[in-house]
Amino acid sequence: MTSLPVLGIDVGGTNTDAALIIDGQVVGTAKVRTDPGSLIHSTAAAFAEALRAAGHVSSPLELHLSTTLSTNAIVEGRGDPTLALAVPGPGMRIEDLGLGFSAWQAGGAIDHRGRETAPLDVESVRDALSSAADSGIVALAVVGKFSHRNPAHELQIEQAALEGYPQFASITLGHRMSGRANFPRRLATAYLNARIQRRQSEFVKMLEQLMLSEHRVAQAFLLKADGGTMRLSESMHRPIESILSGPAASTMGALALASDPGVNAAVIDIGGTTTDISVLVSGDPVFDRHGAVIAGHATLVPALFARSIGLGGDSEVRCDQSGVHIGPRSAGTPSALGGNAVTPTDAAAALGLAQIGSRTRAIRALSDFAGPIGLSPMAAAERIVSAFAAQLAAEVEAVYTSLESAPVYTVSEMLTSPNIRPVRLIGLGAPAPVFVPRAAALMGLPFELLPFHAAANAIGAAASRPTTSITLHADTALGILTIPEAGYRAQLPSRPDFGLRQARAEALTWAERAARSLGADADAAHDVSIVEEESFNVVRGFHTVGRIFSIKAQVRPKARRVDEA
Amino acid sequence: MNTATCRVGLVFFPAFDWAISPDHPEREERLLYTRDQIAEEGLLDISGIEEYRPLIAADADIERAHVCVPTVKSVATQSHRIAAGGTMLAADLVLQGRADRSFALLRPPGHHAMRIVHGSRGFCNINNEAIMVEHIRSAYGADKRIAIVDTDAHHADGTQDIFYNDPGVLHISLHQDGRTLYPGTGSIDERGGPAAYGLTVNIPLPPGAGDPGMLYVMEHLVMPILHDWQPDLIVNAAGQDNHYTDPLTNMNFTAQGYARLTQMLAPDVVVLEGGYSIEGALPYVNLGILLALAGLDYSAVREPDWRPDSATQPQAVTDAIARTVTALQGLWATRREADLEAIFGAGQFFQRRRDIYYDTDNIMERQSEQIRLCNTCSGWRSIRSEALHAFSGRAVRIGAVIIPRRACRQCRLDAQGEFEQLSALWRAGRLNLTCLQDIEADS
Repeated sequence: MTSLPVLGIDVGGTNTDAALIIDGQVVGTAKVRTDPGSLIHSTAAAFAEALRAAGHVSSPLELHLSTTLSTNAIVEGRGDPTLALAVPGPGMRIEDLGLGFSAWQAGGAIDHRGRETAPLDVESVRDALSSAADSGIVALAVVGKFSHRNPAHELQIEQAALEGYPQFASITLGHRMSGRANFPRRLATAYLNARIQRRQSEFVKMLEQLMLSEHRVAQAFLLKADGGTMRLSESMHRPIESILSGPAASTMGALALASDPGVNAAVIDIGGTTTDISVLVSGDPVFDRHGAVIAGHATLVPALFARSIGLGGDSEVRCDQSGVHIGPRSAGTPSALGGNAVTPTDAAAALGLAQIGSRTRAIRALSDFAGPIGLSPMAAAERIVSAFAAQLAAEVEAVYTSLESAPVYTVSEMLTSPNIRPVRLIGLGAPAPVFVPRAAALMGLPFELLPFHAAANAIGAAASRPTTSITLHADTALGILTIPEAGYRAQLPSRPDFGLRQARAEALTWAERAARSLGADADAAHDVSIVEEESFNVVRGFHTVGRIFSIKAQVRPKARRVDEA
Repeated sequence: MNTATCRVGLVFFPAFDWAISPDHPEREERLLYTRDQIAEEGLLDISGIEEYRPLIAADADIERAHVCVPTVKSVATQSHRIAAGGTMLAADLVLQGRADRSFALLRPPGHHAMRIVHGSRGFCNINNEAIMVEHIRSAYGADKRIAIVDTDAHHADGTQDIFYNDPGVLHISLHQDGRTLYPGTGSIDERGGPAAYGLTVNIPLPPGAGDPGMLYVMEHLVMPILHDWQPDLIVNAAGQDNHYTDPLTNMNFTAQGYARLTQMLAPDVVVLEGGYSIEGALPYVNLGILLALAGLDYSAVREPDWRPDSATQPQAVTDAIARTVTALQGLWATRREADLEAIFGAGQFFQRRRDIYYDTDNIMERQSEQIRLCNTCSGWRSIRSEALHAFSGRAVRIGAVIIPRRACRQCRLDAQGEFEQLSALWRAGRLNLTCLQDIEADS
């Protein structure tokens, strides 16, 4: 099957990068400055620039866009005034959750198996909706504790809002955001989603206009935090999933460009102020166990694992008795580039390891730094570069130690842990050629530096495909099957017996269906797999009365191979 | 995100792939709903509450607390080793300053496992608290004074047995009166061996006791005793079967009561023991305990079927508890005045014989034990034990000699001599196994 040319665009904080890929070859890249006032404008400019660089492209193309739109809105606290309506039931006090926003609490409770243990206080819900509507609130997030096991109360509230309060332009229900447990995270996820939904819709409409005017874009996708894409139209319902797509794009870029992407590897993206470390196991990016954290809000948004550390080309350099230390703060502009700071970039420039700015200025700054500690500028530069590499290697090691000590709940997982240790380091980012080889040498590992690093995120965006995951919970003792993300809840027939085999088949079918609705083609949709599975006998009074199955099925993120043209 | 006022290390290990047998109360499903509740409450997102993967206890760790017949491997599965190792880690977290308090929320439990282990009794094979205590004394100093407060509804007969004559351990067990519940022991006159008399404190509670009675005991007896004894470390063996919904017992505690108990006791380490109301009690009790440990508000933790009268207790029960507390207050105050010669005899040895039943594995053990009454140390012990395995009809005879920590020179020599005699019996085929447990040397 020949696929359409794909244009990947990564709208970053400073620059917007674009890369056009045809048949796995990068045929054009572009870089424009991001206009923070108009991300659409930046997108359009990069779009045009990349096509110009590629020369004549006549066929329709696919657009894969990674933007900071939702990330910025959340980080900057922008968005619509939103009512968070919670049905917390018994447990932790909602005031103690440290949500960072207030929530109206309605009476009612669902328990861990999805049984209603107290009816919804409809009166209180009406009060909340009325007073919010009267005070000009236009967005609504509704979340109940254990709503992933039974969304009845959330649906009741949605019904009440739809019938009586047209003021609410956007309504987000918690159970549709995620089928995973964690009420505070589900609440934050739904709240943020509702808050940015209108803004996202406007952006999508503008983008559609742009595409119409360009006549070239056959389909458009947005990049998500999990390294996958979703159809542009879908992003109007779930804009929250497009947060933190930049780091995910970088990991996907590494996968697309790496020479041997099927192995265990650490991906090290070194920037000016931070280094992001992500992890590939047999070529699959590792996910964050819990979900993305953004601006202090812990969410259930599926996200690739990335450890961000304060170590970069512009990091502060300090010296004490125990040696040279880099970071975590940024020192500002390196001296080589006209600033006043002594930075790892200056050390690299002085040693001739990188051609950046003025080597003379870098050496002069280093001699001011090295004089008081009795070192020559070059010796100081060597120490800075070594210290950087040593800190980087230690951080990579710490990432693996922490991933390996993640809690497990079965004896078999305690006894046989999968081997996730890296067999190579993959470096990207401008300072990577200086520091990654040295860190790799300290760890006794081979390394690989990726080409095209300037546009790696855009390439990552272009190489990504739709992803999705669903959570199936079947409780045969209660005779209930729930797939919250799909809004599906049904009675299980008492005959024939519903067993693990049926549960797996059902989960795979629903995941495939969800993937297609997000825009996956047949190949991608077929590529569903079960990533988590639990099965329990339910025993009451010394008799097995049923079974509980919990299955997570997923279309994992995957990068198409991309080669240098 | 919220912040705990006390840093809590949680060692959670629900052993989702291990059961005694498929329909047994100690099965895969036991902590499923507790896991669901903890996950749904977002407890692990609270800054200061950190989850840890357990360790796996080695043979040497287990053999400091037990004599396993015939081997550790034959009585402890990997899941038992993980539960014991997780409990050891819980102590490490606190003693290394990685947490202010810790909670080993794991299974299988251990408090019915005695020093000699022929198999499983009361769902227990090896004693998690005892293995932890010996680990603490080996790794952090033999002079650590450790108090264990066992709040399981069943008498902690295993832990009592292991530390019965140990002056470094104060063992307090609150439980439903042994005349009405397994294992039947735990009366107030079981008070410890000759070297630790008074340091075994049994508080039997009448059936029907609720939060008011339990909190009365805590306030008027347990807390004053702890204040008096000044332990370095307080361990709470937190069985959750005093709950009003528990299927195996007749008590009336609630999640609020357990949380209040935890707040009052302020334990350094909490270790889960029994508790088999896996849906009605455990999710809420464990949540209450965790919040109380972290110093967070637990006032909204309630069982779905909770009613204001769930924890009430009849006046007769209240009166009986008050009488027990008064009696025990007196016994504690006068424990040093007890006439040990009248209790343990004036000879060289104190001797006792016991029949111990292993309900889970259907083993009948007949045990005779002698403790050297020594003026300079807690005295060496010799145990002869004969176990009849009812399922197989097999009989196993063993002899064990135990040299306690800080044993005097003479007791060491005498214990060696006794061991040689036992070894002669073994060579003559009259014993299947002999064992010399030198707790300090094993450290």
